[in-house]
Amino acid sequence: MTVILHENHDVPIVVVNVSFGVGSRFEAPGRTGFAHLFEHLMFMGTRRVPPKAFDAWMERAGGWNNAWTSKDRTEYYDVGPPSSLDLLLWMEADRLRDLGPLMTLEKLDAQREVVRNERRQTSENTPYGKVELRLPELLYPESHPYHHPVIGSHADLEAATVDDVKAFFAKHYDPANASLVVAGDFDSARVKARIEQLFGAIPSRGAPTGPVAAGADASSKPTLTAVVKETLEDNVELEKVVMAWQTPKHFAPGDAELDLLSTALSSSKASRLYKALVYEQKLAQSVEASQESGHIGSRFTVGVIARPGVSLDRIEAAIDKELDALRKKPMTDDELVRAKNLVETDFVTRLESVRERAALLNMYQADTKDPGFAAKDLERYRSATKEGIRDVAAKYLVPNARVVMRVVPKKAGKAK
Amino acid sequence: MKRSLLVLGALALLAACGGKGASRPGPPPARSAAISDAGAVAPDPLGPRPELAEAAPFTPPIPIQYKRPNGTEVWLLERHGLPIVSMQLVVPAGAAYDPDGKGGLAATTANMLDEGAGKRGPLDLAREADRLGATLRTGALADYGFVQLTVLKKNLGPASDIFGDVVTKPQLNPVEFKRVHDLWENSLRARQSEPEAVAGVVVARKVYSAGHPYAHPIDGTLGSAAKVTLDDVKKFYATRWRPDHARLVVVGDVTRAEVDAMLDRVFGTWKAPTVPAPVDLLVPPAPLSGRGEPPPVARRVVVVDRPDAPQSVIAVARPGVSAFDEESAILPRVNSALGGSFTSRLNQDLREEHGWSYGAHSRFSFTRMRGLFVAQAAVHTEHTGEALQAMIADIGVMSKAGLTDEEVEKTKQLARAELVETFETVQAAAARLGRNAGVGHTPDHEAAASRLMVRADKGQLKKAAAQFLDLDTAVIVIVGPRAKIEPQLKAIGITAVESSGTEGQ
Repeated sequence: MTVILHENHDVPIVVVNVSFGVGSRFEAPGRTGFAHLFEHLMFMGTRRVPPKAFDAWMERAGGWNNAWTSKDRTEYYDVGPPSSLDLLLWMEADRLRDLGPLMTLEKLDAQREVVRNERRQTSENTPYGKVELRLPELLYPESHPYHHPVIGSHADLEAATVDDVKAFFAKHYDPANASLVVAGDFDSARVKARIEQLFGAIPSRGAPTGPVAAGADASSKPTLTAVVKETLEDNVELEKVVMAWQTPKHFAPGDAELDLLSTALSSSKASRLYKALVYEQKLAQSVEASQESGHIGSRFTVGVIARPGVSLDRIEAAIDKELDALRKKPMTDDELVRAKNLVETDFVTRLESVRERAALLNMYQADTKDPGFAAKDLERYRSATKEGIRDVAAKYLVPNARVVMRVVPKKAGKAK
Repeated sequence: MKRSLLVLGALALLAACGGKGASRPGPPPARSAAISDAGAVAPDPLGPRPELAEAAPFTPPIPIQYKRPNGTEVWLLERHGLPIVSMQLVVPAGAAYDPDGKGGLAATTANMLDEGAGKRGPLDLAREADRLGATLRTGALADYGFVQLTVLKKNLGPASDIFGDVVTKPQLNPVEFKRVHDLWENSLRARQSEPEAVAGVVVARKVYSAGHPYAHPIDGTLGSAAKVTLDDVKKFYATRWRPDHARLVVVGDVTRAEVDAMLDRVFGTWKAPTVPAPVDLLVPPAPLSGRGEPPPVARRVVVVDRPDAPQSVIAVARPGVSAFDEESAILPRVNSALGGSFTSRLNQDLREEHGWSYGAHSRFSFTRMRGLFVAQAAVHTEHTGEALQAMIADIGVMSKAGLTDEEVEKTKQLARAELVETFETVQAAAARLGRNAGVGHTPDHEAAASRLMVRADKGQLKKAAAQFLDLDTAVIVIVGPRAKIEPQLKAIGITAVESSGTEGQ
């Protein structure tokens, strides 16, 4: 297990952040959504910490917790007063050590229903939420580990068994696959000894090896070679188009340039897409763009909601015109400075929070094996050039290899 | 112009992190054997559950308060950890002051402030803020309008110039107003298909009587938006955005001398108009009954039809408390036990016990006049009836019996921890102090309220629960497929079901 300590006494808060190198891309066929379902099961108790006690004891100590699962990783974090730290570490050690073998069908069924309601709430009953369910399937071939959405399908969630849970725990929830960050108001020497005592004797089988992607990374070509179009009907008032491309993985050459490009495209009123589509041409209601960076590949998306009466054909043509300009000619010096300064300020303000600092340390550890990568990370943005951004746009944001999804109002049974 | 930001001080925070260590492959014994020993016969390698020491007491910081020559009251809280400054100007120009039939005027006025100000048009203004890496936001809540700025210390000078222009010299240009108004109407159209937003709109419309200042949504309705003109905006701005009723919260890496020099420059020409302020600004905060006390009616159930929806959004609502009522200090603890944390009764029941929902929660709003209590959950449609019945029962038990001993202790710890996090970052502290200033509290309010909150005993909490959680006259709003919901309501004895449109009409 990797341990990263970051002591700082500015505020009386401690954070324990445990990251496991497992996400939805490690899921077995027919078990989509399992990594995230498993995340929910990590709170269901052991012999030392009976069902419901994990949260109850933590809150009684003035703490709270949450967790999230991505395509690549699962992260658990606890936030509490300094007096709670020993308890937080003890409970994290306990579940890493003992949770799997004590799994029952009752625990699994309870969280299965919760997760299916999470899917309904965040994807199915939210305007445009279904895009995230379908986009990965269109962007990646079936053999690609990123082909399915993190939340998974109802059928696969229903199919999960207690044996699946135990096997998944044994394989992925191993100390060798975990990174523990303690950040905030504590004494490093004491906590280091305590971590040794609590986690040091947890047996390991060594880190598991994940599926190797055939997909996009810096060295291989994107698997998407054509334009893939699909239209969804949904309970929405305004039509929307989402475009997506396969782009270089996190920290690969081009990744930071695409972050800056997304900022220059959509971050403010003066950004390229907003200014053109919303402010000047008055075709769109809103625009968004982002580089979503992953371990074995990233995706760049552009989303635009149309104003009433404006066809998505016109919207798509207007987006293409702006992207074409950025593929051909570098952005202005001023645009580059603005994008860089927005990214840097965001970076600094995030560092204020103990919870964010802990999360960043584990992100750098997971993605670069160097928890102190922050300065180098920032340097990527500082050294990016407008020509470099143009070249990356020309290479990856190509018109003839992308997904174009449309969301339009349902024709029948539409709510008034 | 090029400006590169220096963030080395901040980076040192992260670079200081200790090395990784304690990598421990260890001998790989059969895992099952290791585990079957744990906690059984052999001594437990983890030892017993750690004893908890008492968390150190925490008192929220009190900003210093003083008046500027133009009447603006400054609340300053110095924080010199990171080179960041966050400030927020608040004026009593919230949605509660929207004229009859013109709901959304206060919010639209605030939205127009950065659509061109001083010498800069809207695009130039946005470009300059971006160049400085500044975050500039304008908006309105129920009681107050605000302009908020967060920026690195080194850019505070030029960023505060923009801030000053936005507050004191908005252009309120007709071309920009037409665009803002079109976007506003479209967002109201889009709101109709957002179930949680619809529930919020309908709850306020049904709990408050027609014409009550809080009965309409802050962003208005399609009907009221159509009536709001640029002249209305100009008039609202001239009447209500005035320095003698403004408060300015400043938090971060800045001293009083620096703040005053900045304000001399930025607000030097901002003077109170000679006409007296509107009379409603001078009325002291309303006590429990505010204008338009909700009529005492029987419990109502209102359904907004959303055919084919996979979930029903259920909101159980009733009149809550004013931020000036004494109980407002201790109700957060009652709410914490009921629906304010993961282990709260509502979340445990609907989510962990039954799996009907991804989560259930409740809240009191803290506003000048009496606010709302709302308990809310999005539940699988086929469990709408059962889930509603459980919510009503859980709230009913809390209102009759109050908190358990365990909950009394837990909510005390959680309340303390929540306060620590509220004041952890410059931005969060500025947001909370901005809210207190906007509602009309004094700068020491949070410190005083936190003492009451921590001290409240079981008896006081029980009394507050009884007073504010009785559901006899509650309004229950459900956004979901009416055809599937109605038989379920009938099965739990609810037969009188009203219908509503997405805006409460």
